[in-house]
Amino acid sequence: MIPTLLFVAFVVMMLMGVPIGAALGLAGAACIALANSDAQWFGLLAVPQNFYAGLGKYPLLAIPMFVLVGSIFDRSGVALRLVNFAVAIVGRGPGMLPLVAIVVAMFLGGISGSGPANAAAVGAVMIAAMSRAGYPASFSASVVGAAAATDILIPPSVAFIVYSVLVPGASVPALFAAGMIPGILAGLALIVPTVWMARKHKMGALEATLPRPELWKSFVEATWGLAAPVLILGGMRAGWFTPTEAAVVAVFYGLFMGMVIYRTIKVRDLFVILRESGELSAVILLVVSLAGIFAFSLSTLGVIDPVTNAIVNSGLGEYGVLALLILMLITVGMFLDGVSIFLIFVPLLWPIVQYYKWDPVWFGVILTLKVALGQFTPPLAVNLMVSCRIAGVRMEETVRWVGWMLFSMFLVMLAVIAWPELALWLPRYLGY
Amino acid sequence: MTQLHEQEPPVVAAAEPDEKTAVPLKIEDWLTVIVMALLSLITFANVLVRYFTDQSFAWTEEFSVFLMIVLALVAGSASVARNRQIRIEYFADSGSEKRQRALARFGALMVFALFTLIAVLSVRVVWDDFRFGETSPGIGVPQWWYTIWLPVLSIAIAGRALGLFIRRGRQP
Repeated sequence: MIPTLLFVAFVVMMLMGVPIGAALGLAGAACIALANSDAQWFGLLAVPQNFYAGLGKYPLLAIPMFVLVGSIFDRSGVALRLVNFAVAIVGRGPGMLPLVAIVVAMFLGGISGSGPANAAAVGAVMIAAMSRAGYPASFSASVVGAAAATDILIPPSVAFIVYSVLVPGASVPALFAAGMIPGILAGLALIVPTVWMARKHKMGALEATLPRPELWKSFVEATWGLAAPVLILGGMRAGWFTPTEAAVVAVFYGLFMGMVIYRTIKVRDLFVILRESGELSAVILLVVSLAGIFAFSLSTLGVIDPVTNAIVNSGLGEYGVLALLILMLITVGMFLDGVSIFLIFVPLLWPIVQYYKWDPVWFGVILTLKVALGQFTPPLAVNLMVSCRIAGVRMEETVRWVGWMLFSMFLVMLAVIAWPELALWLPRYLGY
Repeated sequence: MTQLHEQEPPVVAAAEPDEKTAVPLKIEDWLTVIVMALLSLITFANVLVRYFTDQSFAWTEEFSVFLMIVLALVAGSASVARNRQIRIEYFADSGSEKRQRALARFGALMVFALFTLIAVLSVRVVWDDFRFGETSPGIGVPQWWYTIWLPVLSIAIAGRALGLFIRRGRQP
């Protein structure tokens, strides 16, 4: 009775547009009170305790730092220089600019940790460039939105940090390493349909007439940007710093680059950068902490075990259950953002993962791939919202383009399910 | 702005001017900027100190976590006032103007209810910390120095939610 109330209250509030965090916290608090109706203060003292404990975790500090990195690199002008360098390498030809957009988004994914920041940085440069070359705005917005989704797979990634906090058996470095190969595969998987569509529909006919940047000069200008992922990922690999410290080193590296080298960031811009990244981090952190109340009420009510038993004894078998989970998450992913999905579903799914002895790191990569797909699946696609806003198109117009990209990236997810080594080989090789 | 994409929900609403609020949002904004800057500087100093002296100052970890909690609540308060919480916009931002406003008010009221509850209950937590003389595990300062901010800032968030509720109730 009480568990049913928990879910019904939560789902109804969420659909009515109540902030996810408030819906989680209120539903959790109501159920704690109902379950402890005879205890002192209805056992509600657990509410502030779990709220505080859900937030007071050192690894979570990496979230505001990586959000800040994304905000700084977004404004540093590094995307423009990387684009010039990439164009100088691949040259001007049909379908080359969309390819450059995807590669640069993947590369920036090695610096920033969140998809929407990536979409903003790449979109600001590429959507204008692609429209000059004759690509339709809806196509450019689709390419940028989809390409930015590789960001949460390619380390560093805010999604992996949240997953790691929820799942004790999966360390941040192991998850980062595990996301590398699937992330690159996802990027390659996007390039194939993108270039094919560009050629088939004869888009970007003007591209061949545009000037090609000089190779050496564009390389020199892009050096600072090219070195950033080496510093962040290499520094973590070499054991110089923890993920949080790597983020903060990247913050100061990005500030130095933006303020001293490229002179794109002024002192007064710092206020806006710090305020916006602080607010975005707080929005994420509040959901994290309020989900702590919800998770606590789930565990005290003991609803997870019966649900788990019902699922594992349903006769679907291991892969049947996995297919069911993916189907469910894809549906949910159309309405919910990635971090919320992790916070709500990882505690629920964890016993199933343990029952089938799935590798927690592998499962994290699958979930993140799912979330990445959700980031550019209309109608609630956070990355597409950003890129459509820049391109000035409605999200409905992107539907005819993103379908093939979604399908292609979905195949990558199937591949990672079929061959877990795609995710697990690199962390094992690196010794995490 | 053209009328072309009026239905897009605001995600990167950076360019949008803030609505007028009774208590200026500058308070939260300045605190957010200061806390973010402090967090970066402390963590960076920790990297440098460890690199040059081979030792880390452990007390920073506890203080950084505390600053992060303050950040979540203070910047969270601004995000409540700006209505930028993560929520499902699909149903709430469609339909008649009247329905949209009613749902926005309901959402604000729920945020108000939750943070009022947290504020009231956390007073008891602070009182317990104070009464039993709890000290923090890292530095050993009284725990209530940290927890006292939970009710204070929760009230701020509840106030911002109430402000949003009132503003959404006015006729446009």
